[in-house]
Amino acid sequence: MALSPRKKAQYIRYSVYTLSLIILAVIILLVDLGRLQNAMFRWDIITDQFPRIITLAARNTLIFTALGFSGGLVLGLAFALMRLSKVRPYRWFAAVYIEIFRGIPLLVTLLLLGFGIPIATGWRWPNPYLQGAIPLALVAGAYMAETVRAGIEAIPRGQMEAARSLGMSYPRAMGTIIIPQAFRVIMPPLTNELVLLIKDTSLISVLGVTSATKDLARFGRDGVNQTANATPLIVAGFVYLILTVPLTQLSAWLERRAKVGQR
Amino acid sequence: MSRLSRMTKIVAAFAALSLAAGLAACGGDNGGSSNGDAPFDVVKAGKFTVCTDAPYPPFEYEEDGKWTGFDLDILRAFAEGYGLQMDVSVQTFEGIWLKPAAGDCDIVASAMTITPERSENALFSDPYYNAAQSLMVRSDDEDVYVDLASLSGKAIGVQSGTTGADYAKANATGAQIQEFDDPAAMFLALEGGQIDAILQDLPVNVERVKAMGKTTITAVFETDEYYGFAVAPGNTALIEAVNATLAAMQDDGRYDALYDKYFN
Repeated sequence: MALSPRKKAQYIRYSVYTLSLIILAVIILLVDLGRLQNAMFRWDIITDQFPRIITLAARNTLIFTALGFSGGLVLGLAFALMRLSKVRPYRWFAAVYIEIFRGIPLLVTLLLLGFGIPIATGWRWPNPYLQGAIPLALVAGAYMAETVRAGIEAIPRGQMEAARSLGMSYPRAMGTIIIPQAFRVIMPPLTNELVLLIKDTSLISVLGVTSATKDLARFGRDGVNQTANATPLIVAGFVYLILTVPLTQLSAWLERRAKVGQR
Repeated sequence: MSRLSRMTKIVAAFAALSLAAGLAACGGDNGGSSNGDAPFDVVKAGKFTVCTDAPYPPFEYEEDGKWTGFDLDILRAFAEGYGLQMDVSVQTFEGIWLKPAAGDCDIVASAMTITPERSENALFSDPYYNAAQSLMVRSDDEDVYVDLASLSGKAIGVQSGTTGADYAKANATGAQIQEFDDPAAMFLALEGGQIDAILQDLPVNVERVKAMGKTTITAVFETDEYYGFAVAPGNTALIEAVNATLAAMQDDGRYDALYDKYFN
């Protein structure tokens, strides 16, 4: 019996649905739900996490992220412009910076800058937030420099030429004509960078934490240790989602709005 | 036979397969491999898998690619006694005593003090080492930070999840306690001045002073702590075998020889 291509596609789709449902049913039947709940979703432990997981841990994660992102954005913009500069040493310097901080893992950068600088110079980090956020900003800046550069290069050359022919200086044309348009282009990758940064703050705890500077991941891990139960990590993961999902939605909204303007 | 019924058969076969795979995975959980001459089960056939937070000299560290140290030498002697090969799985210390119950290894050997809290989730061997806590500072501060009171308002480094961390939190109330996952990071923080003292087990601080210089131990706190090996709760067969070997090693002088090698 020959089937029309459309019927065939339909049958295949139904089979995939059936298969998925069967697998789901098998998993639900095989997993001991009581045991799962006892190991990962204990209600008394969940309520114990609040409010400190928000007022302390999420707050610290946001402080690290805000410092790292704003520092990274300034550095990224500066190095992107240097990379596009006509002055050769600027270009070289920016290229070396980007290669180094993009190529070395954040964990290594954290240890090198967080511990290495004080050991080598006798200088002490003035506070633990800067000790964690500055290496984070340096790495984020290297990634963002390339994003910003791509955004600037995506703006048609005619925009700059038109601005210059109207008598604008290069810095003014860059600052008021090119960069604002570039930011519209790079909004999605910058959001991506921000979300990655939120999660990267979980590495900062290698530099040592006090009870006041614990980030979300560290808070969750300490909770696991105290309760011998995985629930605190599940809660921490959920709080990460509370932080990241609104951001990505906001970015999608800004993107849609920007597209309206472009038409 | 129509194509449709063949598709149904494939779906059914897949379902059966995943069911079988799921059941097999479940069966593996409580099983474990048995060994001909050993009176206990191990997680990996022919191997005796040890969870440890290494390097932590002189208790567990790697030398020329071979795991050594006081703890690991004892367990290697035990494993060889049963014709097993010792396999080391490196883990962070925090919560390491939960690993045997999770099936990650057979035993934990990590310079670990026997405490009532840890005993709730692990079965400990007889004590094999009496440890004290101690305070280590930069040699320049030798005369400044002589006890916990002198560190009031200063930063003390501890390793997360250790009895040293508990001791510091309970007794160094005027100081700021900074926690580290990793002893190496803690030593760097002391050297760079981020913290002013390290509070941890005496033998480890002693080893550090011997190996590196630049630091001095200024206080020792007798805390009546004993190290034990830990296995999954209920694994009495393994812990009885370990206790028997420990007793035999203490009787025949092998324990004393190791003790002299690492601590004298």
